[in-house]
Amino acid sequence: MSPAPEPILATSSLTMRFGGVVAVDNVDFSMSQGELRCLIGPNGAGKSTFFKCLTGQLRPSSGSILFDGDEIGGRQTHEIVARGIGIKTQVPNLFEGLSAYENINLAASRRNPADAAARVADDMLELMQIAEIAASTVGTLAHGQRQLVELAMVLAGQPRLVLLDEPAAGMAGEERARLASVVRSLAGDNTLIVVEHDMDFIKDIASTVTVFHRGRIFIEGHVEEIMAHSEVQEIYLGKETNAAA
Amino acid sequence: MAALGYWRGVALVAAIFLAILLFVPAWFDLFEVLQMTQYIVLAIYALSLAYIWGFGGIVSFGQAGFFGLGGYAFAVISINMGETTVPFLLTIALCFSFAAVLGYFMFYGRLSDVYLGVVTLVVTLIMWKLINHTAGPEYAIGKARLGGFNGIPSIPIMRVPFTDREMDPGEMFQYFMGLLIFVYLGLHVLIRSKFGRIAISIRENEVRTSLLGYDIRRYKLMVFSIGGALGGASGAMWATYQTFIDPNSFSLEMSAKCLIWVMAGGVGTLIGPIVGVVALQYLSLKLGETAFINNLVILGIILVLLVLLMPRGIVPTLHDWLRKGLALVRQPSREGAQ
Amino acid sequence: MDFALIVLIELLRAVAGLVLIAAGLAIIFGMMRVINIAHGEFLMLGGYTVVLTTKLGVNLWVAILVLAPLFVGVFGVIVERCIIQFLYNRLLDSILATWGLSLLIIGAVTVVFGNTVEGVATPLGGFAIGDYKMASYTLVLIFAAALILAAIFAGLKYTRFGLIARSTMQNPGMAEALGVNSKLVYMATFGIGAALTGLAGGLLAPIAGVVPSMGVYFIGQAFITVVTGGSAIVAGTLSASTMLGTLSQSVTFMSGPVFGDAALLLVALILLRLLPQGITGRIFSRSL
Repeated sequence: MSPAPEPILATSSLTMRFGGVVAVDNVDFSMSQGELRCLIGPNGAGKSTFFKCLTGQLRPSSGSILFDGDEIGGRQTHEIVARGIGIKTQVPNLFEGLSAYENINLAASRRNPADAAARVADDMLELMQIAEIAASTVGTLAHGQRQLVELAMVLAGQPRLVLLDEPAAGMAGEERARLASVVRSLAGDNTLIVVEHDMDFIKDIASTVTVFHRGRIFIEGHVEEIMAHSEVQEIYLGKETNAAA
Repeated sequence: MAALGYWRGVALVAAIFLAILLFVPAWFDLFEVLQMTQYIVLAIYALSLAYIWGFGGIVSFGQAGFFGLGGYAFAVISINMGETTVPFLLTIALCFSFAAVLGYFMFYGRLSDVYLGVVTLVVTLIMWKLINHTAGPEYAIGKARLGGFNGIPSIPIMRVPFTDREMDPGEMFQYFMGLLIFVYLGLHVLIRSKFGRIAISIRENEVRTSLLGYDIRRYKLMVFSIGGALGGASGAMWATYQTFIDPNSFSLEMSAKCLIWVMAGGVGTLIGPIVGVVALQYLSLKLGETAFINNLVILGIILVLLVLLMPRGIVPTLHDWLRKGLALVRQPSREGAQ
Repeated sequence: MDFALIVLIELLRAVAGLVLIAAGLAIIFGMMRVINIAHGEFLMLGGYTVVLTTKLGVNLWVAILVLAPLFVGVFGVIVERCIIQFLYNRLLDSILATWGLSLLIIGAVTVVFGNTVEGVATPLGGFAIGDYKMASYTLVLIFAAALILAAIFAGLKYTRFGLIARSTMQNPGMAEALGVNSKLVYMATFGIGAALTGLAGGLLAPIAGVVPSMGVYFIGQAFITVVTGGSAIVAGTLSASTMLGTLSQSVTFMSGPVFGDAALLLVALILLRLLPQGITGRIFSRSL
């Protein structure tokens, strides 16, 4: 392996306290350009809090978050986005009354003049394989399609780092497989962090996994290793996966 | 395509307004021209709220604050300067700035919508109280005495811009109508601009818009300030039209009227609130002639009924009914075509 | 020394005044998330109840302590049934509808009783502290405000209805599942808020001129107090009233009542800039 390049995202001693509860406890996390990383952990492990610190929804109690060498900890969400981080929230957040195309176009037009924005929007429709629903009002679409539209919106902002919060939630079967293939194809050109519960989905996108436990990073490794790891099974996967394995 | 239809509608409205501008002073008698001048001023006042509510999602319960401030500022400045063009512009700038300062506290304090409404309401109430207490001779700005609850009389009549000649009622009507057309078209251009579309996105979904990288506080502040400037402009026009201004211009009733016009006309349109002003002002004029019904009672009943029965406004509701009616009529033929 | 005592009483009076005019609004807003713009008119109706019934020969204290809250409470229940019940979870609409109601009440009262100032004489006379004279009724107001806050706290905390009401406001579905009639709870809560407002209006009648438009003079302060206090009814009302009342009274001492009001607003604005959720914090905070 070549020596690791300068990390695109690095947190050091990141801590988030709520009253007496330490939800994120001195986390040192880093990832490099082009990487696809999944964050997993049981409920209350701190991964969502960690994610919210990255997106500016929470102001960390202490520690730093460096994105491309710049401190973004405690900044406003829009500032973080403007610096080149794309964020997809857990609950789809769309302009319900607009068409899929208009939604994506709106996202593309922050960085681009009108004609270029239209081109970016077309590219995104193609990339997500959702050209056939371009003209449909988003409010009328199925849940899985809405997730894809939102992902297209995030990418249309041409971010250097993409944060996805449970993109596969509520999806199944073919839709989920399509999402997995999209996420796989994005890796390499893009840098992604995916917070996800669904182990099958994580297996599908075959990424490196960071396991959170009690506010700390418990272990990092490839998904296959992690799934084989007995302690991880104990704290997170439980009997269900033991039985499946 | 949709854009073309949109501008066609706007152009049609502007053409009708232009026809009114050209022909009304000649065809109607003085009393009616004066009456219609009043509607125009109030229409611009209504547009100030229609814009920030319908196209920025900001519900201000204190739009009368800007109306009153505009009236008083114009009175004070024009009495001191002895002319009207510069005072009119200064008034607009002042109201814009005041809205910007107030908006800074509200939007950057991340007040939720309702708190925001209450704050605007309370600010207006305080202004009303303050101005009511300025009856004594010590409350004067330059040559202008504020006059407390008595108000300020003898406000200069609007001059033809950059001259010393006072407008006659017909000219003032045409000038104000021209301003209304300018505001109406200007707001449409603004709404369709990139700025306007982002403001609408904020109304639709604040979280998403900030996730697209836009600072929603800044946009809201701008929208609110533009609304403040328009409200102030209408207040100044009111002051010069009446040559008089009193604390009632700050009253809750004045704020409520604005909300009622916009609600009746439909939030999210610009022409609706203009129609709302004319229809409801005419109605209360007619009902007011019957002495035993109080104007407040009428306003109150209209507001309660609007909220309970037509929360989306009269124009959109009628529009819906019309479309459903037409759909019923067309249904058979469409089925036949398939 | 005497002067200090007078100042203290004046400050307490200002605080008590805010508590009185804000308590009913705080209950209705804190418990039901409804902002009642007609709050000032509820106060006015309480005042008119006292003026009219005392004219008919009813004892002043009966009018203030029994009839005013009773009448306005019943009126509140009617309003809840006719308007508010359709507008739960539609905050903006409930504001607009109660605003309409406010205009309607002012208009109707003006038509019936005319636009003239009515009043009742301040009872109990006065007492002297050193060279200063003071109305005894001031002490009644302070005492009443304290009692009202204590009663709200005890009512919410220690009574069965308080428990049912709090649970219904937090999770109406769950409360229904436990056999609570949430409609009834909402109605009763609104009625109690209205009754308290009526009581406040009655208490203020002897010191304020009773006119159809008198509500306007109070709602600004009432709203600021409730918004600044945040969602906790007792703690919020008390902390906001204490702070804002002390402050505006101090400014009033120095530069007259108008600027007292303006100072109240200014401080509230700055406070909200710093604490957007009000003094008592987040909307779903558990404190009372």
